[in-house]
Formats: sequence, C-alpha cells, structure tokens
Amino acid sequence: MNYSGTAVSEGVAIGTVYLYQRARPQIEAYSAGTPAEEAAAYDAASLAARAELETLRERLLSAGDQEKADIFGAHLELLTDEVMDGEIREAIREEGLSAPQAVERVFTAYAALLSQMDDPLIREREMDLRDVCGRLLRGLAGEAEEPSLSRLPGPVILVAEDLLPSDTAALDREHVLGIVTEVGGSTSHTAIIARSHEIPAVLGVREICRLLHTGQEIILDAVEGTIRTEWSEEERASYEKKRRQVLRRQARAKQYLACTPVTRDGVRIEVELNIASADPKELEPARYTDGVGLFRSEFLYMGRDQLPDEEEQFQAYRRVLLAYGDRPVVLRTMDIGGDKPLECLELPKEDNPFLGNRALRLCFQRPELFHTQLRAALRASVFGNLWLMFPMVASIEDIRRAKEALRKAREELGAQGIPYAPGMKVGIMVEIPSIALLADKAAQEVDFASIGTNDLVQYTTAVDRGNPEVRQYYQTFHPAVFRLIGMVVRAFSQQGKPVGVCGEMGGNPLTAAVLLGLGIRRLSMGAASLAPIKELVCAIDCEQAREIAETVCACSTAQEAEEYLRGWFDHLICQEE
Amino acid sequence: MYAKNVTVRNPSGLHARPASELVARAKQFRSKILLHRPDSQVEGNAKSIIILLSMGIHQGETVELMAEGPDEREAVEDLAALIEGGFGEI
Repeated sequence: MNYSGTAVSEGVAIGTVYLYQRARPQIEAYSAGTPAEEAAAYDAASLAARAELETLRERLLSAGDQEKADIFGAHLELLTDEVMDGEIREAIREEGLSAPQAVERVFTAYAALLSQMDDPLIREREMDLRDVCGRLLRGLAGEAEEPSLSRLPGPVILVAEDLLPSDTAALDREHVLGIVTEVGGSTSHTAIIARSHEIPAVLGVREICRLLHTGQEIILDAVEGTIRTEWSEEERASYEKKRRQVLRRQARAKQYLACTPVTRDGVRIEVELNIASADPKELEPARYTDGVGLFRSEFLYMGRDQLPDEEEQFQAYRRVLLAYGDRPVVLRTMDIGGDKPLECLELPKEDNPFLGNRALRLCFQRPELFHTQLRAALRASVFGNLWLMFPMVASIEDIRRAKEALRKAREELGAQGIPYAPGMKVGIMVEIPSIALLADKAAQEVDFASIGTNDLVQYTTAVDRGNPEVRQYYQTFHPAVFRLIGMVVRAFSQQGKPVGVCGEMGGNPLTAAVLLGLGIRRLSMGAASLAPIKELVCAIDCEQAREIAETVCACSTAQEAEEYLRGWFDHLICQEE
Repeated sequence: MYAKNVTVRNPSGLHARPASELVARAKQFRSKILLHRPDSQVEGNAKSIIILLSMGIHQGETVELMAEGPDEREAVEDLAALIEGGFGEI
C-alpha cells in the first residue's frame, strides 16, 4: 500500500516501524472523592509531575543539552503557574469538579487562548500546555510515565499520532531514521524538530497509526511525501539510490549554505531571501542570508473574508524586521489583481488581469487600502532596516503618485506623534519594459530597484505565464530580456543606487551567472536556491561573468543562449570537481 | 498601592525568556503585582507566565506596573528597571 502526507523534512528512509502511542490517560474510570480528597489528589499529582520534570531537566543539563533542558524548565513554570493552580483549586472547591476534570478544563481553556494569539511563538506554547496537562492527568490516573523515546529498540521509523515537546526532547536521534505522524504540517513543532535534526519526516498522514504496526518494514520518501509498504527489488534499489543522492545534495548544500558569497576575484555578492509571510519556518534560513530581497505582502489578504487591519500588518512586518536586525528587508506593497479571487476584496473579473487593474494601479483606485498598508509599514520601519518597494510601475507618474501617498501617510503619523524611520529607502520593482527603458529617469526618483524577472519576461515577450497554451513562448533565456536588464543595471549603477534581482532568474545558477556579468550584486531567491547560488558565486569571477553576459546578449535566440550557458556551466562544475 | 508606567524595549517583547525572567523576579516579592495595559481593561498577574503569554505584550508598548503589599514600592521599582533595561537583549 501507499500512503501520503506532507513532506516537511527532506530525505528517504528504509527501515522498520516503531509505533509510538501515547495512551490517553484513563480518567473516565477515575473515581472522584470529596473536594478535600480531590484537592489532595491534585497536590500529589502536581508534586509527582514536578519531580519528573526536575529529573528530566537535570539529566539533560548534566548531558550539556541546555536547549532541551529549557523545554522542561518551561514546563515546570507552567505546572507551578499560580493563576492556573488557583483556578484548578477553585474549580475543585467551588464547583465540586474532580481533580482530573478541573485540570483538563483549566489547561484546555488556556491552550485555546494561546492558540489564537498573533505571535506564532506563543501559539506554539499551546503544545507545552497540552504536554503538562497530559503529565498531570497521567499522575492522577495512576499511570506510569509513558514509554520514552530515549530508549528505542535500535534504528526505527517513528510512527505516532503526534509528538509533544517532551517526546521530541527525549528523542534518541541516533536511532530515528524517519518520522511519520497523523497530524501536523510544515510549521508544526514536530516539523521544526525534524528539520533541525535532519530527520526525514512526513506528517499529516491520516490514520497511519492504525495502518502500520511495529516491526513492519516501510520505505519513507520524505521528498515526495509518501510511505510504501510493498516494493520490488528494483524499487528498493532505486529508493536506496535516492536516499544517497539526497544525503549528498544536503551535504553539499550545507557546505555552501553557510559560506559568505564572494567571487573568486573577491567581490562580495549579497544573497537574499524571498519570503511570502512572517511565518517562523520562512524565517529559519535568515542566518544564511544578507537580508530579505522580496517580502511579498499578499499573504495578508489570502484565505480570509476580512481585510487585514493596520495593526495586523504592522505586527507581521515587525516580526520579519526583528528577525533580520539591521539587514535590509524589502517589503513589496500589495501585488494583487484579478488573477486570483480574494474573499476579502471583491475585484471584477478581467479578461486580461496581468495587464489590468492590479498592484499599484489597484492601490491608486482604492487609496484606503494603500494608506493602511503604508501606515503599517512606516510604523514597523523603526524596528529594523525596512526598504519599501512598489510593484507594477510603468511610468514616472506611477512613482510620483505612490511617493505622494507615502508622504501623506508620513505626515499623518507625524501629526499623531507615531514614530517611523525617516530615512526608509523607497524603491520600485522593474518588471514592465517601459520603466526598464526609462531606468535613468526612474533612478532619479527612487533609492533602489529590484528586477522582477518573471514578469519582465512575461511583459517583454507578451506571454501570459499562466496560460499553458503559450508556455513554449515564455523564454527565460531570451536575449532581449538580458539586454533590458543590462540597461537597468547601468542606469541605476551610474547614479550609485542599488539594483537587485528577485525573480526566478536570481535563483537559477545559469541565469544568475549572466546577472552577475551584467553588474548585479544583489540576488534574492527562495530558500532552496541559496546553496546552489552561493556555490556558483564562489566558483566564478566577475571578468568571466562579464564575458558570459556579453555572449548571451549577443545571441539571436533564447535557445542559443541556453545552450551556450549549459555548456559553460558543465565546464565550470567539471573544473570544480 | 504603588504604580508606574514602563515601556517594553527588548525586541521580543514580554514573551519567551523575558517573560520567564519577569515572573521569576516578581515571585521574589510578597506584594500582589499586576500589569495593566492602558486603553484596555486587561489586567494581569505578573507572577503568572500563562497570563504574560496571553497578554502578548510587544516591544514598544507602554504598560502600567502596579503592586500592592508590604514591598510594593521596591517591587515596582525593581521590575520596572528590569523591563526598561531590555532584559539584556539590547
């Protein structure tokens, strides 16, 4: 059989299942006594839990694992919290609840409260509450401590409904080949732990605990997100090969991920990250990057029926800025149009949404939306190094109008005595050929530019990139696009203004080499491209890159350019090995 | 009763480690200690981690620190210095 879920930590594992089931404490069978007896039972369970947690913490501290010891330290804090403790006692005394009922009610109420908080770090604490609650209930039910993950019977693939912080803290990494759970997605506690320990993991596989049994052999493919229980010899061999390939790729990535991107001739290239939300998972690679080259703000508007208010936007921007300290975070104002229906914002369907009323144009038509976003961004600007970027700019008037809206937002905040960073940099996305051709004029109006290559290709070659009928006409290697990019870089560089690339071209080593040759010194990309791009930067020198760029700009067709680049790239990598 | 307004300066606000530190420090005093968010009715026990977490106080916010009891003045002054000092994060 095959089962599938969400691959949250890449890798392949072949091995036997260890089914880990945390039995729900049997509190149904609990026979309650008088309130005084229940209070005493609660006291005893609380003391026992405290002793357990202290032992666990001390064991980890003496093993030098401060991080895991802190998890149990945090559990001790919750266990001894005077507000929850008081409420539990009161429920027993005043309402006559049994000790388990009172514990469950109070802990569940606070877990629900935390799960609704804005801050994802606080939301995550809900798991700790559940964990401590389980520990108390087990004590009350007279059940022993659960089977610990610190003593696994050899290397296994761990299969569980879910893993709590105390499970993962006890986890014996050496003996875990992979993790499969029924609940959880890519931002769950288990996913974060699996990634930090580089354990292949597939989560959210429904009813998997019922479908597999301990000792059963399975193949876990945490690239595709599948679990197989049957296979042929050839299939097994190909999974074995895939497992080694992933490990090799990861080792290579690790080698380059943390390196400083400097070309052979000593030019430092800024390698930045594209993000689409303020989610902690997206911010994980922050330490390997020089900033955020593109912070898409559309996530704020998706999957909801009400527009995000200023405070919510402010909190999201602030979170990212704090994660990046003084490194730049380029926030792109909303890039929304008729191509994606939104519940919170009714937009008329257009025949040609990519040429329609989108992004900045929509902001001009709905100034209140724009104003809210600008105020939120300005307020957040004091928390880091925020650069504000306008998308879909086609003319100098667009720039002036957007700046005027920004001036109004500043003035209003100033009048209200609300602080903002006066020196916040303001720039544009270059994705429409008309502004690329006027780059010298645009550079006089703004502090920086970032080239959005996906749309620049689309608008230069007149190809709707969402339309499969014309996919073959969408040519990333089109020489005309490279020439346009060259113009933009020259215009901005002459005026000493930074210009970067945040489209897919920046994350593809072949095109990134051309961009470096055209004079680009800032590349922004998805997390998966960081290592390959840093590897490229470290392998190339600027003179070599310049020759490559000249050659592709002189090509007649995209095919010619691509073939040349592939040949050159193979040569470069051969030299390396 | 003794009270004072304090501004939270450290980047992570009163979450995580700073919240734990504040609770541990507050527990050293005998007075009842409350945090109060102006412009709202929310008032929370500063000796409770769960209350601090659910208040979700961010960097830049100003809150009122209040204490009532035998060591109220000392408690407020001590905790205010801890909060204004940024918990060693700044």
